Amino acid sequence: MGNNIIELRNIIKKYDGNVVVEDINLEIKKGEFVTFLGPSGCGKTTTLRMIAGFELPTEGQILLDGKDISDVPPYKRPINTVFQRYALFPHLNVYDNVAFGLKLKTVEVKDEKTGGTVIKKLSKKEIKEKVQHALEIVDLEGFEKRSVTTLSGGQQQRIAIARAIVNEPEILLLDEPLGALDLKMRKEMQIELKAMHKELGITFIYVTHDQEEALTMSDKIVVMSDGCIQQIGTPEDIYNEPANAFVADFIGESNIFNGKMTGRLKVRFCDTEFECVDDFPKNTAVDVVVRPEDIVITEPDKGAIKGKVTSVVFKGVHFEITVESGNYEILIHSTKSAAVDSEIGMNIGPNEIHIMEAEYTTNIFDGVISKHNTVLFADGEFECDVTQLYPGSHLDEEEYLITADGKKIDLTDVAVEVEVPISVLSMSDNAEEGGTCGNIISLIYKGDHYTYTVRTKSEEDFIITDEYLWNENDYVSVVVAKENIKLRLK
Amino acid sequence: MRKLMFTRKQLAVPYVMFLLCFVVAPLIVVFYYAFTDAAGHFSLTNYINFFTDRNTIGTLVYSFCLSITATAVCLIIAYPLAYILARGGFKKRSILLMLFVMPMWINFTLRITALKEILDVFEGNLAFHPFLNTVIGMTYDFLPFMVLPLYTSFLKLDRDLNEAAADLGANKLNVFLKITLPLSIPGIISGVMMVFLPAMTNYVVLDMLHNSTYIMGSLIGSYFNAYDWNNGAMISVVLLVIIFIITLLTNHFGDDNQGGGRVV
Repeated sequence: MGNNIIELRNIIKKYDGNVVVEDINLEIKKGEFVTFLGPSGCGKTTTLRMIAGFELPTEGQILLDGKDISDVPPYKRPINTVFQRYALFPHLNVYDNVAFGLKLKTVEVKDEKTGGTVIKKLSKKEIKEKVQHALEIVDLEGFEKRSVTTLSGGQQQRIAIARAIVNEPEILLLDEPLGALDLKMRKEMQIELKAMHKELGITFIYVTHDQEEALTMSDKIVVMSDGCIQQIGTPEDIYNEPANAFVADFIGESNIFNGKMTGRLKVRFCDTEFECVDDFPKNTAVDVVVRPEDIVITEPDKGAIKGKVTSVVFKGVHFEITVESGNYEILIHSTKSAAVDSEIGMNIGPNEIHIMEAEYTTNIFDGVISKHNTVLFADGEFECDVTQLYPGSHLDEEEYLITADGKKIDLTDVAVEVEVPISVLSMSDNAEEGGTCGNIISLIYKGDHYTYTVRTKSEEDFIITDEYLWNENDYVSVVVAKENIKLRLK
Repeated sequence: MRKLMFTRKQLAVPYVMFLLCFVVAPLIVVFYYAFTDAAGHFSLTNYINFFTDRNTIGTLVYSFCLSITATAVCLIIAYPLAYILARGGFKKRSILLMLFVMPMWINFTLRITALKEILDVFEGNLAFHPFLNTVIGMTYDFLPFMVLPLYTSFLKLDRDLNEAAADLGANKLNVFLKITLPLSIPGIISGVMMVFLPAMTNYVVLDMLHNSTYIMGSLIGSYFNAYDWNNGAMISVVLLVIIFIITLLTNHFGDDNQGGGRVV
C-alpha cells in the first residue's frame, strides 16, 4: 500500500450522459514509468486529464499519497503536464516559459531571527539556477533568450518538458508528447525521455496510441479500450500473455483464431489439435493467439499444419510470409524466406500458443414486444417468433397469443430479454434489410474470418462475424433471421 | 480566338489607378494647402497660429479627452463582454455576437436621435451634461468596433495555454494576468484604434446631441464652411501626424505578440 503514489478508485467520467471512462481502478507506484495505451477515443487522455485536475471525475476517487485529491484544482497539485501540442506561451521567451512555474512557487523558509517559518518566493538567483539546470537536462542550454515561436517542433517539445520538470513535480504527465515529431526524432526522444525518467526518479504517466512506443519505454502498460482497462502489466506480460483478443490484436502483430478446448492442455484450431500450456475446461470456446515470429517453418510433411505461401514481403530484419491453410490465413515472420506458391509445413510450440477464454459467444439485449408481435431492441425492430415465450402457444387471426391452456394474452409492451448468438448474425449494406443499423467500431482478423463490433445509435453493441472485410466506421444494417432470435420473459 | 490572359501586374492596374486618384492625389492636395497661405506661397503660419492659439489648442485637448474617455468606456464594457461571448460556451454564440453588433446595421442618425430622446427624458436638458452625453453617444456608436477585434483575439486564444498555466501553479487570477491579458493585447490595440481615431474627428455625434464644444473634426468643418482651405488642410495634417504617432507606438507593443486580431 504505502508506496502507491497515485490510486484511481472506481473512476467514472461522463460527458452529457455519455460514459467516456468506465469504472477504472489503478494503482501506480512511486517512480514507475506507466503508459496508458489504446486507440483514440478509448478514454486514456481523459483519465490523464483527471489526474492533472483539468477534469473532475463524475464518480470515484483519485488518491495522491493516500490523500483524496479529486476536488483539488490543478494549480495546487504537485503534478505537471507535458501537453500534446506543447502549449508553450507564445508571448514569453524560452527562459520565461521555463521559469513560469517557479515564479509562482512559494516555499517555506525558516526565519533565522524568530525561528518560525515564513512563506517566501524563490529568489531570482534560485530561479535562474533551476531554469539552467532544466535546460541542461533537455539539452537546450543557451536558448534562454530565444522566442519559442522560432524553435523547431523537437526543440519546442524539449522546452515543454523542461517547463514541467523544472518544478520538480512528484508526477510528470505526458499526453502523446511525441505525436507531432517525425519518426527519427521520435525514436531519439523516446530514449532521452527514458533516460530522464531514470535521472529524475519521479513518476511518469505517459499516454500514447503507439504500441511500440509503449513497449519501448514503460515499466507498466495499461491497455485501454472503450473507456475500460483491458489489461495492466509489464511490456513482456502484455506482449506474451495478452488478456484478450483486443490486446493481442492491438499490441504487435498476431494471428488470432477461434478455438475450442478438446481436452486437458489440448486445444483445436485451424482444424488441428495442438498441445498447449493453458488449462481450460473441455469444450470451452477460446480465442487463440499466436505471434507471427513464433511459427516455425518446416518441410511440408513435418509440420502440424500444411499450407501454401501466398505472399512474401521483405521487412528488413525478417520476411513477412502469408500462408493459406485451408480456409485460414496465417502470418509468419521469419528470417528465412520461402518461395511464393510453394507448400510449407508449420509448427507451433505449446509455450507459443496463448489461449484466452472467448469473451462473447452471444449477444444479449433488453427488448420490448411491439403491437405487431415484433421485438424492439438496440434501436431497431426485428421480426420474431413470440410463441416461444409460452410453450405450446399459437397466434390467433387477430394476432393475439393464445397459450396452450387457451388463455388470450396481449403481448404489447412486454419486456423481454433478447438473445442473438454471434453465429446467426450478418451484416448488409442495405439499411432496409436488417432490423437496426450501426457503425463498425472495431474489427479483429481471426485467420478465416473477421470479428466485428457494430455499435448502434444508443451505444448497443453487436458482435458479428463475417468472412469478408468491411471497414471501420462502415454503416451497416444488422440482419438476423426470424427464427434465430431467442426471447425470454423478464 | 485567343484567350485573354493577364499578368499579375496588369491585373493590378485598376487598383493602382484607384490609389493614385483617391489616396495619393488628395493627399498631395491636402499637403499643398496645409503648407501654403491664401495667396499660394509656402508658409508655416497656419501651424504657428494653431499651436499658439489657446482656443485651437483647447479644442485639441478637448477632442483628446473625449476620445480617450469614450475609448476607455468602450474597452471596459467590451472586454468582459467579448470574453464571455468567446469563452462562455454558448451554443449560439454567433447569434449573440450578432445581437451586439447589429446596431451597426441601423442608420446612425436614427440611433443617435433615439439616444437623444432618451437622454432628454433623463436629463431634462441636454445642455447640462455635454461631455457625458457625447461620451455616451460615442460609446453607443463605436462599441461594436471594440467588441469584434477582442472577440476574435479571444477566439484565437488556445485553451491549452490556460490549462498549461494552471498546471504550472497559476490560480485563476494569475492565469488571467499572465496569459489571457497579454495575449489579448493585439485585440485591445485594434479595438482602441478603431474607436479612438473616429472619436477624435466625428463631430456629428456632438452636433446631434447639442454639444456646442468644438472638436478637431468640427474645426475642419468650420474652416471649410468659411472657404479657408489652408487652415482646414492644416488641421487634417496635424491629425494625420497624431494618428501616425499613435499607430507607431501601438504597433511597437503589438509586435511581440502572436495572438492576432489586429485590424489597423
